[in-house]
Amino acid sequence: MRDVRGDVVRRQLKADHNITVTNVRSICGYLISGETPPSAVAERVDDLFADPIIEIGAANTAMLTTPTFADGPETIITVGFKPGVTDNPGKAATDGFLTLFPNDVEAKIATYTTYVFYGLPSDCDASWLAGTLHNGLIERALIADRNACEAQSWPELTFPTPPEQVFIEPQSIDLECDDATLEEISTTGLLALNLNEMHAIQAHYRDETVRQYRTEMGISPNAPTDVELECLAQTWSEHCKHKIFASRIHHVDHETGEDTVVDSLFKTHIMKPTHDMQKDVDWLLSVFHDNSGVIAWDDTWSVCMKAETHNSPSALDPYGGAMTGIVGVNRDILGTGLGARPIANTDVFCFGPPDWEGQLPENLFHPSRVLRGVHAGVRVGGNESGIPTVNGAIVFDDRYIGKPLVYCGTVGIMPRHLPDGRPSHVKTPVSGDIVYMVGGRVGYDGIHGATFSSLELTEESPSSAVQIGDPITQKKMLDMVLEARDAGLITCITDNGAGGLSSSIGEMAEYTNGCEIDLAKVPLKQAGLSPWEILVSESQERMTIAVKPEDQAAFEALADLHEVEATAVATFTSTGMFHVRYADATVAYLPIEFLHEGVPQLQLESEWRPPELPSFVPPSGADHSELLQGMLQRPNIASKETWVRQYDHEVIAQTAIKPFVGVERDGPGDAGVIAPIHGDPHGLVISCGIAPRYSDIDAGAMAAASIDEAVRNAVCVGLDVDKMAGLDNFCWPDPIESTKTPDGRFKLAQLVRANRELERVCRAYRLPCVSGKDSMKNDYGSGPEKISIPPTLLFSLFGDHPDVRKSATSDFKFSGDKIYLVGESKQELGASELAFMLTENGQAAGVGGHVPLLPHPEQNLSTYRALSQCIRAGLVRTAHDCSEGGLAVALAEMCIGGRIGAAVDIDGTGTGDVWGRLWGESLGRIVVAVPAEHEATFLSQMKGHPTTVLGTVEAAPHLTIMDGDEALVQLDVETMASLWKGTLDLTGGVI
Amino acid sequence: MTPRVAVLFGFGINCDHETKAVFELVGATADRLHVNRLISGDQQLEDYDILAVPGGFSFGDHLGSGRLLGNRMRFAMRDALRNFVDAGKPIIGICNGFQVLVKTGLLPGPEAGTSPDFLQRGSLTLNDSGRYEDRWVTLEFDPESPCIWTKGMTRMECPVRHGEGKYVMPSSEDLDRLDAQHQLTVRYVDPTTSPGAGRTDENLPYPLSPNGSMRNIAGICDATGLVFGLMPHPEAIYARWLHPMHTRQDINDSTDGLGGWEGEGLQLFRNAVEYVKQRS
Repeated sequence: MRDVRGDVVRRQLKADHNITVTNVRSICGYLISGETPPSAVAERVDDLFADPIIEIGAANTAMLTTPTFADGPETIITVGFKPGVTDNPGKAATDGFLTLFPNDVEAKIATYTTYVFYGLPSDCDASWLAGTLHNGLIERALIADRNACEAQSWPELTFPTPPEQVFIEPQSIDLECDDATLEEISTTGLLALNLNEMHAIQAHYRDETVRQYRTEMGISPNAPTDVELECLAQTWSEHCKHKIFASRIHHVDHETGEDTVVDSLFKTHIMKPTHDMQKDVDWLLSVFHDNSGVIAWDDTWSVCMKAETHNSPSALDPYGGAMTGIVGVNRDILGTGLGARPIANTDVFCFGPPDWEGQLPENLFHPSRVLRGVHAGVRVGGNESGIPTVNGAIVFDDRYIGKPLVYCGTVGIMPRHLPDGRPSHVKTPVSGDIVYMVGGRVGYDGIHGATFSSLELTEESPSSAVQIGDPITQKKMLDMVLEARDAGLITCITDNGAGGLSSSIGEMAEYTNGCEIDLAKVPLKQAGLSPWEILVSESQERMTIAVKPEDQAAFEALADLHEVEATAVATFTSTGMFHVRYADATVAYLPIEFLHEGVPQLQLESEWRPPELPSFVPPSGADHSELLQGMLQRPNIASKETWVRQYDHEVIAQTAIKPFVGVERDGPGDAGVIAPIHGDPHGLVISCGIAPRYSDIDAGAMAAASIDEAVRNAVCVGLDVDKMAGLDNFCWPDPIESTKTPDGRFKLAQLVRANRELERVCRAYRLPCVSGKDSMKNDYGSGPEKISIPPTLLFSLFGDHPDVRKSATSDFKFSGDKIYLVGESKQELGASELAFMLTENGQAAGVGGHVPLLPHPEQNLSTYRALSQCIRAGLVRTAHDCSEGGLAVALAEMCIGGRIGAAVDIDGTGTGDVWGRLWGESLGRIVVAVPAEHEATFLSQMKGHPTTVLGTVEAAPHLTIMDGDEALVQLDVETMASLWKGTLDLTGGVI
Repeated sequence: MTPRVAVLFGFGINCDHETKAVFELVGATADRLHVNRLISGDQQLEDYDILAVPGGFSFGDHLGSGRLLGNRMRFAMRDALRNFVDAGKPIIGICNGFQVLVKTGLLPGPEAGTSPDFLQRGSLTLNDSGRYEDRWVTLEFDPESPCIWTKGMTRMECPVRHGEGKYVMPSSEDLDRLDAQHQLTVRYVDPTTSPGAGRTDENLPYPLSPNGSMRNIAGICDATGLVFGLMPHPEAIYARWLHPMHTRQDINDSTDGLGGWEGEGLQLFRNAVEYVKQRS
């Protein structure tokens, strides 16, 4: 039998480090702590721990001493989790152990993996090797090097027992001190509160009324308790309160002379436009205030979507960080309204180049390792939850080495009305309802995630902020919650994410204006957590759910059935107070209003001066065929198939347009289309747009391009443009001017410009933003070594597709089909992929110049509407978005998808030169193919819209691109396919 | 008579919704039944005519796919399962459900005429590629198989979505014996071969065989032909709009319901439902 687990390690050493190892064997180890006698366990090894057909098992003896490994291994590395880190296989093993030994209820199992190396190159250092196999932040590794192996001194891990936690009684923290001390309290406590905010808290405790009711309540009258201060820090964190988007900004534009004040970017440019559009349509059911935005999809069902980022945790532990990202956003859907069912995921990642050979700042992983880890985390999180990943993107840029961006999105569906008649998108809690914590337990892991993500990454970033998700615990909870919802048992539900119970119960308490929590009731992973830790811990897989007192028994019975822990920890009140007890002692007593509205508005400075970049000037005498071969291998353009294929993209049996299309099922899908109601072809389109490099020239143009790309992608599959909604996810470097961020005014001006373009384009497209999120501290380090990400907006879109049978895909289909360009090519090569490639190759001086703009979005919308109608009428079955790499790359991808050729002439596609028309990335362009019999109808439908004939689909698998009489590109389709698919295939092969 | 189908769910099973739906599309009634409802006796397996163990990631595939759920069923539902099989009622396991049936020993099961003995005889292990993959494959059915689920079916395209789909047995004699009784019901085949002539014992290269399964085995049945399991997902092609190439199909057949858009996978479920109807 092949040892695949070991073999994967062998192949990755080859793929990532070019190290050839003869053989790697693997051992799955289980450490059992319990009452069952070892001899009894030994008798059942094949019933649980080893598969009798394919594995060899041994108990109570090191596997390495058995004959299997008597053949002289050269290096051995054993990797296990550090104490307190989530060990999912261990948890499953414990569950399986209880099936066999039901009386050993206290039994616990921890897992480890041992890798046994044969034929290792002599210069391969064992501790370096161990470094590639584990993350020291969450795992420990034991090594037996050559000498140890010769001496048969095998590594043996002990059971990981977490260090005892010391319970600390709530303390009061004296804020009657000078400003420097206030700031120090914030810094040393990882509170991430600025001086203004510390002053606001100080002022609260100076209020005589406050002091009086605190005295009556028996809590420190003049100073906050640690519980209160932590709770305020979580609730007021940038992560939870979006203080930069809510700030008052003094904006100066040196280009136009504008000098103005913006009072809240969010309210001005995101919320207001959506609320204005809400007046015109009847399908915007719930926007902004819930965990995701909800739209009516038909009379029976509504759909919702949310996207989140998990950047900082993914930088520290790519696997765990990304996994908690995807399962976390699934919970946002489950926590929408009275509970929605997640039915589709989207994943968009931004990484450093996987082949990076330059310096790596301390404490940062190599981009290829970040890619592998993040991908694995999202893969496991999504696949094990049974949610298909239907859409996404991977973007590469050097600056993401400092902070990878990990966007995870989820689409949900819920009946518009529950069996008891309540609209499912409206939460209905009343004072007196009992609040349950459901799912996982609270542990030391996950303390300070929200405040930590509001700080820049440093070498001292805490390991407690990193967690590993547990998709199976969450899946059980999800099954249970949806059953409880349909039984009418839920009055209010929300996710426990950032800020833990402090945020989840705190936010829900706004509905009834008060709550009373008893932290002593909260089930813990390990004893000894202090009250403030219990309140703010972000331990995963938890929902907070309110239930009427009379429904408690039914709710708890359902939890038992699903083997989900559900504990009543609080009661809603109408006292106006966020009241937290630990058993009988009051440990926090804060007015709901102060908690949620008390944070002072930030006052920020913004100053725009256009960046000065060397202009991109194309080289003379270039060979466009050669350029196209180079472009197809660029990581930003190359096929992501190896990675995306590892996501389940069709569980639930609804995915009508998949990430892969065409005859070999490897052509790029522009957007995901699902038909979630079985037997019914009514569909939903899910797409995204992202163009971070345009920020190098103008972040406003970047935002417009992202939105247009999302819409174009969706139009390509037949979206009904009159029913679409969007999500804005901003990831920015710190835009607040300070000594750490001397260019803060510029970065804030970029944010202002992006928001203005977002409003302008969304209004023109009648595209309401229904939910969004921002992550504002995406920097690494400080001073000259500081790395800031390019300002990045991910725009996700979900919209209606009346009938998925009437869709289009990007692959060219039948020879003789006519190829058209819809839209117009302009001379827009600034920050284009070609400009980056030629600049990196030394063939051009820079990427500056005209970045793609969207001057008349209402015209684009009208063209999109006409084209998508053609698709839904069956006139057009082939359509592909034209983006990175321009027309040349779009045509190449369409040929690859169909493994068929095309003869194209780009003459007449625009007024620019050949570079602009072939490689420019002008917005608003879609390449389509039309069967000859539909050509006349197509043209009459597209009358008045820019539609230019390009050529014909050809049976011979060969792409020819002409410009009038001049041959620009002549390439064989198989050649293009293998170049395009090669770059990111980092598998090291199959055998 | 309308056959009743028990579709198991819980603990990470995740294809329960679509599995219920496909049975209903072919005229059965189907209930999603939490495993614990059967174990606790709250619901009785004997009240059902067909049992489906859907795909998913029960217990996260930890300690080997299907093992922990298989153990729960093997130890806590042994009598109910034995009675169900002895009563001649069809069982299907798809993907993770197949893994569960193999690890409980229901597949390939003992010699014909013997009650289930819950002995594991084969296994499903990690794909040779070392990767979980979602990829479309071409399947071909053994026309002489006793399997009641695949009657009249020749070839089908549908997706595999697994990381542990390599079917193995201790010796080639084990496989010979199953083959002789036509229990190697469904295999991965090269789509360029002509329908009916694709099945081969020679290992096909990746990705034609997505996992390196012995003899390209995609699914097997027990000696009675009633218990059937396979790694690929026939329910994922219940409608042709789920096929990756459907945008090449004529769109004009847009009658209500599935009409001309019925997918190839639905027949498999119809076969079992019809079998139950004819028996009653």
